[in-house]
Amino acid sequence: MVTAAFASFQRPPLSKPVWTVSTKAFWGLQLASVLGASAVLLVLIANHQFQYYYVWNYTSLDLPMEYLLSAFYGGQEGSFLLWILMSSLLGLGLMAWTRAPYRWPVMSVMGFTQVFLLSMLLGWSFGDGVLLGASPFRTLLEEMPNAPFLQANPDFVPADGRGLNDLLKSPWMMIHPPALFIGFAMMTAPFAFAIASLWTRTYHEWVRPALPWTLSANVFLLTAIFLGGYWAYETLSFGGYWAWDPVENASLVPWLIGTAGIHTMIIQKKSSRAHSASLFFAIFAYVLIIYETFLTRSGVLANASVHSFVDLGLYNQLLAFMIAITALGFGFYFWRYRDLPKPKKESSLLSREVLTFTGSMLLLVLGLVIILGTSSPIIGRLFYDNPTPPDIQFYNDWSGPLALVMGVLTVIGQMVFWQRHSWVSLGTGLLLPTIATTVITAISAIMGQVNDRYSITFFWVGWFTVIGNGWVMGSLLIKKPALIGGTVTHIGFGVLLIGILASSKYSTFMVPPVTESFNARVAAGEAFDEDGFPITTQIESFELQRNQPKVIDQQYMVTYEGYELKDTPRPGTQVYTLTFQPLDGRESFTLSPEVYPMSSTAETDRVDWSVDPDILTGWMSDIYLFVGGSALVERRNEQIAAQATMNEAAMSRTVSGQGSGASSAGAQAASTDSIAVVSLLPNNPVQAGPYQFTFSGYEPAQGDEVPENTQVAIRANIQVTHMPTGRSYEVVPLFAVFIDEGENFTYSPSLRIKEWGLDVQFSSIVPNDESIEITVAGLNEFIEEDWIYLTVEKKPFVSAVWLGTFLLMGGFSISIFRHWARDTQAKRAKETSDSLPQPSVT
Amino acid sequence: MKIKVLLGVAAIIVFTSLVFYNFGNSISTYVDFEGAQGMKGAHVVGTWDDTQEVYFNRETMQFSFWMTDETGNKRKILYPRPKPNNFEQATQIVVIGEYRGDTDVFVANDMLMKCPSKYNDPNAFEMQEASS
Repeated sequence: MVTAAFASFQRPPLSKPVWTVSTKAFWGLQLASVLGASAVLLVLIANHQFQYYYVWNYTSLDLPMEYLLSAFYGGQEGSFLLWILMSSLLGLGLMAWTRAPYRWPVMSVMGFTQVFLLSMLLGWSFGDGVLLGASPFRTLLEEMPNAPFLQANPDFVPADGRGLNDLLKSPWMMIHPPALFIGFAMMTAPFAFAIASLWTRTYHEWVRPALPWTLSANVFLLTAIFLGGYWAYETLSFGGYWAWDPVENASLVPWLIGTAGIHTMIIQKKSSRAHSASLFFAIFAYVLIIYETFLTRSGVLANASVHSFVDLGLYNQLLAFMIAITALGFGFYFWRYRDLPKPKKESSLLSREVLTFTGSMLLLVLGLVIILGTSSPIIGRLFYDNPTPPDIQFYNDWSGPLALVMGVLTVIGQMVFWQRHSWVSLGTGLLLPTIATTVITAISAIMGQVNDRYSITFFWVGWFTVIGNGWVMGSLLIKKPALIGGTVTHIGFGVLLIGILASSKYSTFMVPPVTESFNARVAAGEAFDEDGFPITTQIESFELQRNQPKVIDQQYMVTYEGYELKDTPRPGTQVYTLTFQPLDGRESFTLSPEVYPMSSTAETDRVDWSVDPDILTGWMSDIYLFVGGSALVERRNEQIAAQATMNEAAMSRTVSGQGSGASSAGAQAASTDSIAVVSLLPNNPVQAGPYQFTFSGYEPAQGDEVPENTQVAIRANIQVTHMPTGRSYEVVPLFAVFIDEGENFTYSPSLRIKEWGLDVQFSSIVPNDESIEITVAGLNEFIEEDWIYLTVEKKPFVSAVWLGTFLLMGGFSISIFRHWARDTQAKRAKETSDSLPQPSVT
Repeated sequence: MKIKVLLGVAAIIVFTSLVFYNFGNSISTYVDFEGAQGMKGAHVVGTWDDTQEVYFNRETMQFSFWMTDETGNKRKILYPRPKPNNFEQATQIVVIGEYRGDTDVFVANDMLMKCPSKYNDPNAFEMQEASS
């Protein structure tokens, strides 16, 4: 059964539907085999058929069902299959809804791209290491024919697989890939319609069906970008939702170009202009998807990205795909370029055509700048032999100002879009929004203590975009609410601008007062390290002992309450409990960051630790924190290292138990009680609990710290060493004898070593043998030292980033329904009164 | 029309050269410790030298260790954050920073760890077999 499905799958369905009649049959067959292949892969994964390389490599027995599903697209082959599945389904939709004259050219282009995609999964070998595609159904034997254990026993089936990457065990990562590949697949539609338009020389009509598809592709891409960003924010420890990583850029750039295309398509639809630009963007968006696929999957970016990609040896094939799509798209475009309709008269500068067009040009420029940065391993060779990725600053320096210009333009554009304006009437119309913006910016700048010019400008533009577009939306809501899609999108953009700047530039590390003053000195250039060199980096994290709270950010008293171990979904996960008590009396809350060993790399003698941050989400700001290190992690590492040494040593010789950790030191303790009396002879170290006490001599007690009528007052010099860590403290406890109403009393206040919670009291002097007795309390509390390094960040208005994104999605979705409805209306109109052009509704 | 086209072309040329100039400045090249001399934000690739002292200063939260670059030069590295969790496992370390004053101590403002990804390691299966 498996082989049958496998075989049917391996035959690329020749779905070039030049014969219109058989298109449906071919596409149906193709879809059926892709569905079959997907089902087979899913069944293999669900039934743990580890003789298949893909199943063994990405899954394991302990994976819950939902992550077995994630594993389907956890690897390159499976994600290609998902992409193919999505574009097969899209083809079905295109077949159902596309009319003449576009149906067969559109389906031909779909078939063309589908053949390339399918070829990625063929897994045909032509000898000499020449491979065409990588099949998800290859067996272990096919994958590694030279492995000795497989040569010895070709039927060997591993008992368990290697499991899914722990970072991908997240609900967000379950839905991110499907959204992404729906977006990728849907972006084929505008490309196909553009080619169909050039093919059939019908340059006006194609945007009607293409626009809703482009809008939908954009919504799905945006959803995928959002899910990816949210996942990065709550799973990774870089503390943000966006890092300009090539993989992130790979979905952002096609989205930007798609958005540019949406703008020009709308002009074309409304004003019968910008045909060449619409065609260009429709083609370019898909070309970029293939280009970014090439960059991220061919191994070109292996050194530039935090994401590790498997190099499946598809470099040449991906390159061929990219060249073919580029040649087809732009070849057709330039071939027909002279034939494209040109506007007869120039539009005025203050027309909706010019402004919308400018918007799409800015999106194009932004996209090109990001492509340049992402392509650094290739384009950077112009400058260096072995180029590094660009500084994050490169992206920020260009995208920021461009976004500012865009923000202002959206408002003017929307004003002019719905109503004819002269410069004077526009100025009048903008007066109130401008005043409102300035007032609100001033208020928010004062409240948020924003005082640099760039930020104030940025926030002003953000607010202006929100208020200006809100203004337009208000008037549209009264007249025709169905038209608000564009304004909602643009408001979302403004909210996003505010959120991005606030959450990135005004994000602060919350640290205790000591660190705050240290950081102030670093900022002033007055902090020096032990060798006298200036310290230039501020301290971002702090140490927290169990049950010893610290005040951070002058706002919260944070207490480390302890840890718990749990085994689901990741075995050996350490859950740390941290309580935040706001100093202003608000209710306290608890955060539980985690540290876990990555099982995907687990071996007996080493562990890879990974952190899972926790976030308190709020409207005004988020508190984001993670545990960067802990006594527990260090103990585990020591244990693992000790085990490894012991395993080695067992065969040769016995080693002394040095450095084997707290447990063996504890075994030598003189007393198991928490309180112990230890007698000390001068310069003769004595152990108690995990500590060693050395009495080195007396010191005279001076001043008025002793009670009245004191006869004797003396201090003992005692060094206390914590054996497991080797750290020590000097204490000089006091011993005094005084007379009160004729009776002798001793006065011996105990001294506390805060870090260990250890109290040392000089309790008596033994007269006959020079020894002293001390009483120590808290011996057992710190046999197991328990501390963590905590990094806490306050990120204002991350909520605005999400809100902005949702508004963008919502705005696009409203537009989809509107344009879809209009498209079907137009079709019906066309069917009844064949040639009458649909008047555009404004 | 002609003038508009010329202006457009000029604007594109100016903008493109500006972007490329800025791009050229914002990227750098991977160097060894010798080459990093006098550079700011130098990217040095290497491995942890585990025979030398590894130290964490709890007061300043600075982590220091020794690194061997690809040509075999050894330098002491100061990293102003706690030791990354997966430090010991990294097969390759990229430190980004500069020398401290005119000393041989390299201050890494940023540090990237390349960890052995099971997905990229063709020999993992054999290794796993051998150890179990």
